[in-house]
Amino acid sequence: MRMLLVLGFTLFSVGAAPQQESVNPFAQSMVDYKKRVDEYMKLRDEITKKIPEVKETGDPGKIHARETALGAGIAKARANAKPGDILGADMAVHFKRILAEDWKSRTPADRKALFNELPRGVKIGINQPYPTTLPLVSVPPKLLAMLPMLPETLEYRLIDRYFLLRDRDANLVIDMLSDVWPQRDK
Amino acid sequence: MRLPHLLFAAALSISGFTWVAATPLGQSTSRAVQRAAPPQAPASQVMPPREKDSVRFAIIGDTGTGTSSQYEVGTQLTKARQTFPFEFVIMLGDNIYGSERPQDFVNKFEKPYQALLDAKVLFYAALGNHDDPTQRFYKPFNMNGERYYTFSKGSARFFVLDSNYMDQAQIKWLEEQLSRSNDRWKIAYFHHPLYSSGEKHGSEVDLRTQVEPLFMKYGVDVVFAGHEHFYERIKPQNGIYYFIEGGSAKLRKGDIRRGGPLTASGYDTDFSFMLAELGKDTMQFQVLSRGGKPVDSGTLRLAEEPAKAAESNPASR
Repeated sequence: MRMLLVLGFTLFSVGAAPQQESVNPFAQSMVDYKKRVDEYMKLRDEITKKIPEVKETGDPGKIHARETALGAGIAKARANAKPGDILGADMAVHFKRILAEDWKSRTPADRKALFNELPRGVKIGINQPYPTTLPLVSVPPKLLAMLPMLPETLEYRLIDRYFLLRDRDANLVIDMLSDVWPQRDK
Repeated sequence: MRLPHLLFAAALSISGFTWVAATPLGQSTSRAVQRAAPPQAPASQVMPPREKDSVRFAIIGDTGTGTSSQYEVGTQLTKARQTFPFEFVIMLGDNIYGSERPQDFVNKFEKPYQALLDAKVLFYAALGNHDDPTQRFYKPFNMNGERYYTFSKGSARFFVLDSNYMDQAQIKWLEEQLSRSNDRWKIAYFHHPLYSSGEKHGSEVDLRTQVEPLFMKYGVDVVFAGHEHFYERIKPQNGIYYFIEGGSAKLRKGDIRRGGPLTASGYDTDFSFMLAELGKDTMQFQVLSRGGKPVDSGTLRLAEEPAKAAESNPASR
């Protein structure tokens, strides 16, 4: 009886179609994400044609004016942008997993140190400038190495429980995921 | 490619940097973590350079407050330059705190260091976590529009990093630049300290795992960082000398953990700045308080060239 069962199972296994398993379930999501980033960069390039790149200057007013104009230009062109438009719903799962694993790997002191210069309950939104009076949380290099690379002008940032995509030279939040970072330790 | 590093590390352990002198901490330094020999120079006296044609510079960190303490340190820097004529100043980040309107650059940088700027002293800034990265376009910071960059002065090359965002592109750039450098002195500086005895922040271990192996592999001699609002000289780590000078306009009194394993010398009772001289074989340094009192000083001896050290010390092969 036992022999028959084993034989039956073997025959069934041989006869069944090979299971279709994806090597990396996020591979396609990554490709799509890169396309969305490229689209953003294309849009940005169009805007910067009207707002020339700033060169080194002793006049900080010029730097400030360019940053503000660029931010306003991007915000206007993406007036209807919603959370996840660039980062993507499928990639959000991936980002959350990476962040959760990174968080787990850190000691309580390390976790505290990460955010210890930031107040809790920071309000932030898409097409809004990153608050200039707040410091930037340094994204841990080990975490950064796990995230898909970005063009030089874009960067990932962490603030409170948000995961941000920030346009560095426009000081603009261009996308964000909420509650992606685990609750901060008290 | 690992071999040169191993030889270098071995050479350091045999005949590398040595503290010829380590003085410190005058009477006002009640929080001194480590007390050593009596100061080399009397109070309010800056030590002049020791070598002709040496590279002389000042080090300030966490400066951009616009408060009276920043101005006082600025005045003291100008005064110190009369005795110790440094050519340039390195800034360890947090160059402008809070808002970054045009008037903030005036009040938190130009005015406090007006006398030095008038004397054509150059400033080379690193970005801190309070700095908008667009500061790299501000000409007086001499960053050439880059978040991370390198420059050379005499026999020294400086590697200035953006420790707020140490992405793979920057790590790759750093390795390329270090591997290309044949300079006698290799100095790195950035905002976040790889080693620190600070209660508030402490060592940036994550960052350390990424950049220290490169420092060791390519023979970086000295590393400066800020972020912690005090001065600390760290005991040599893997043959590298680490300094923290983040107390040039902000101060976190009593923040250095007492009796910690890292501290060679520390000062967290008043604002401070550093002066350094890179000579043929040695680096002289002195740390002064905003009142001009000596806080710490010493001499680092440059390690033998790895190849020569290996030849003279066959056991280290």
